[in-house]
Amino acid sequence: MTETKIPPVDQLKIILTQEEIEAKIAELGKTISRDYAGKELVMIGVLRGSAYFLVDLTRKMHIPFAIDFISISSYKEQSEAAGVVRITKDLDLSISGKHVLIVEDIVDTGLSLGYLLRNLKTRNPADLKICTLVNVEARRIVEVPVEYKGFDLPNIFVVGYGLDYKEKYRNLQFIAEFDRP
Amino acid sequence: MGVITISREFGSGGETIARLVAEKTRFLLVNKETITQGLAEHGIEKPAPRLETALSDENLSDAAHRYIEAMHEYIYDLAIRNNLVILGRGGSVLFRDYPPALHVKVIAQFTQRIKRVSKLYDLNTETAVKLVKEQDRDTSRYYRQLFDINWANLRGYDLVLNTEKMGIEDAADMIIAAYRVHAEPRELKDGPSGIDFEDRNFSAPTDEENGHFMHNSEEEFARMLDFYRIRWEYEPKTFMLEWDSEGNVVEAFSPDFYLVDQDLYVELTTQKPKQAWRKNRKIRRMKELYPDVNVRLIDKKGFESLLIKHRPDSED
Repeated sequence: MTETKIPPVDQLKIILTQEEIEAKIAELGKTISRDYAGKELVMIGVLRGSAYFLVDLTRKMHIPFAIDFISISSYKEQSEAAGVVRITKDLDLSISGKHVLIVEDIVDTGLSLGYLLRNLKTRNPADLKICTLVNVEARRIVEVPVEYKGFDLPNIFVVGYGLDYKEKYRNLQFIAEFDRP
Repeated sequence: MGVITISREFGSGGETIARLVAEKTRFLLVNKETITQGLAEHGIEKPAPRLETALSDENLSDAAHRYIEAMHEYIYDLAIRNNLVILGRGGSVLFRDYPPALHVKVIAQFTQRIKRVSKLYDLNTETAVKLVKEQDRDTSRYYRQLFDINWANLRGYDLVLNTEKMGIEDAADMIIAAYRVHAEPRELKDGPSGIDFEDRNFSAPTDEENGHFMHNSEEEFARMLDFYRIRWEYEPKTFMLEWDSEGNVVEAFSPDFYLVDQDLYVELTTQKPKQAWRKNRKIRRMKELYPDVNVRLIDKKGFESLLIKHRPDSED
């Protein structure tokens, strides 16, 4: 087992600056506040990547809402008993009859989000929509309806603003392209 | 992305016009030189100085066809991320199914072209006539041999410009104006312009990937689908792509997976883009013949990202 070398932060190629991200989030906060005015809104953060985005997004909103988090198990490459996806941390709130907005840091293949949508639909929310900071359409396998998106990115691997490579780089305030070692 | 193709009669000024259009629109100019250079960077060398003549040369024809196939893939690849002005090389044919593209042909009377060529290259009239005739013949043959298309026919173009009575600068401006009218509203209407197009760049299976269940990557992918409870079938269907004159199938394609609930075929390729070129043609062909079938390619990069994302704890 060799230790993978991770490039230092100052060598990453910045794709989206802190300013761009902040401006986009402010805009999204405004739009969402307008669209959900007068509705009972539950914002659901999908752990762990979306935490940064969810916090900053909700700070830009000016309507009442509730926050909750959900987490699902992730697929482990080449594990013998992969099993099936399951919820590892469920919602604490009931979403029945509520307007639900799932908040993601990134939507690419749609595999895990597809599962989450199927699962949450069975709980009879009034409606169920998706908001993501980064959308990578080129990698989509399962179609998922993305209602609010920050940025469309091509098929590149990115880190920062909640997005990690082996748990690193999440706390960066910008988004950078990352060439895997 | 945005595409303007410019085909020109030799000596009509089309080359200069294309350069001007590219400069003014800041589109990437694709011509013989940039293609030769781009492919050389991928280690693909031109089999002969002139492809047009190599095509008819018994000894060079195969190599020329291979080169041209790589060239087409190269141009399609470029178009995914760039706005292009494509000079010659059958651009109007390559992008004839891409509605936002504007196809331009620049023409001028024979005598006018002779004048221009002799001045430009400092040739006597006799030599200029020979050169213009030779170029016309070669281009015409190139279109006929590769695409079975009569190059003199103007139906394949959206805009035909006669440069006899207009300046080069005016011609360039006209093309740009036409492009704005023709392509831009449609691009907006159709949504993000790249997406449609990206579909064209799908890759097809390698021979070694074909047929046997399973390649490591396929096995991994199947496990991942199972994990997310997505129903799939392995190579359930073969699509016929090409028939010979007697109706025998000479080319077929079986995408690796069919996702039942998504009604989607998925093809995995772990080849590097450089090697996946020959296979790209297969997927494009499939899209032409079976436009209602959804196919998605997961390329090497995409597959690696998929795995990276799904092994948070591993150490490689």
